[in-house]
Amino acid sequence: MNINATLLGQTVAFVIFIAICWKYVWPPIIAIMEEREKRIADGLEAAKKADDSLEEAQLAFDQEMNKAKAEAAEILEKANARASQIVNDATSKAETEAEKILTSASKTIENDVNKAKEELRHKMSELIIETSEKILGEEITPDKHQELLAKAASEL
Amino acid sequence: MAAKGLDHIAGAACENKLFEPADSVEYIQHHLSNLTLGKLPYDTEVWTCNKDTAVWDAPAIIPMDTWTFAHGPTQAVDMGFWAFHVDSLGWSVFLGLVFVGLFRWGIPKLSSSSEAPSGLQNFIEMCVEFVNENVQSIFTSAKNNLIGPMALTVLVWVFLMNLMDLIPVDYLPRLSQYAGIEYFKVVPTTDPNITLGMALAVFILIIFYSIKIKGLKGFLAELTLHPFGKYLMPVNLILEGVNLIAKPISLGLRLFGNLYAGEMIFILIALMLTFSSISVGLLGVGLHLIWALFHILILALQAFIFMVLTIVYLAMAHETEDH
Repeated sequence: MNINATLLGQTVAFVIFIAICWKYVWPPIIAIMEEREKRIADGLEAAKKADDSLEEAQLAFDQEMNKAKAEAAEILEKANARASQIVNDATSKAETEAEKILTSASKTIENDVNKAKEELRHKMSELIIETSEKILGEEITPDKHQELLAKAASEL
Repeated sequence: MAAKGLDHIAGAACENKLFEPADSVEYIQHHLSNLTLGKLPYDTEVWTCNKDTAVWDAPAIIPMDTWTFAHGPTQAVDMGFWAFHVDSLGWSVFLGLVFVGLFRWGIPKLSSSSEAPSGLQNFIEMCVEFVNENVQSIFTSAKNNLIGPMALTVLVWVFLMNLMDLIPVDYLPRLSQYAGIEYFKVVPTTDPNITLGMALAVFILIIFYSIKIKGLKGFLAELTLHPFGKYLMPVNLILEGVNLIAKPISLGLRLFGNLYAGEMIFILIALMLTFSSISVGLLGVGLHLIWALFHILILALQAFIFMVLTIVYLAMAHETEDH
């Protein structure tokens, strides 16, 4: 256990090893650790960004969805309105048509009735004239006949 | 000077056999001796074993100072200051290289670091992060990018040196004897030269940074103007000087003392195995296991304490405000 030059040798060795560690050992380890630290920080930040953009996208999606829903509802409403309008139109058209048909039918009927009445009148006048002739015994000329007829018809 | 402790007799048989301790004292002493390379003074008696006759030659007095390995503790002392504990220094440098190699090539290149770290890399990053946290919690105001690498070096290197203590005490010395090496201490931190050597480096750094940060004037003022004001300058100098010197001494001796005591207990337990009694041997094995398990804690703790104190002392050197 003598104190001798071993002490100085160890001092020198110690200084040399510190220098080696300082120059060649320590920096690469620190560099690698710092690099990883940075990479992890970057990754976390990217994840956060992705999260944010996901949220944004979700928001945009919801907005679009609501818009689409509103539009769809509007279209549906319009379609409904149009359908009911078409039905209404068709109904009123049919009604008009029916009325028209009815009117023309009743006109025809009236015409027919008038015609029949005219004919009836005519026949009746003839009958009356024939009868009157028989009663009077007098030939009535065709001219007279026509005159009487017209007179009777206008009087009736 | 006679080679005390080596009771060779000229003409006695000297096969180059393995060291067999004669008693417990010799066993322990052998375990506590370093492989020392130094300069033997010119008048030392040197015994050589004659390989042809296999007997000890008469001792020769070496004619001049000679660089050689010491045979026995006495010769190691005779070598004086300019001698080196080759085993301590060798293990220390080897373990330092293990540290550098592990931490330099245990992590991938920056370009290929995109995968998740695994195994060794995780361990390395854990160590670095641990050291960094400690440095940042102690170095709050001043910034110095040398402190981190230094603390990491101290922590891992001292831990590796301490870890050698867990290798059973006889393994490596015995193996080295087969290789013809007489003494072989494997735990560098049980050598005060090693721990005080590192403490010396820390001390130099303390003084360097004190002067760099506060200027020579500021540093001298710190040493002489506290705590009693400028009229009691000598007293202040003594007090602050002791305070300053005590830092490296306590730093080195704390690590040495803990590891030396632990090593001593391992040696004493190992001594139980040399007795020819099975029950004592089994007891020794059990005690060794228990002490080794407990010692793991001390090894790590002492490495950590050495690191923290190094950081604290250097942080104090960076402090500029009066205290």
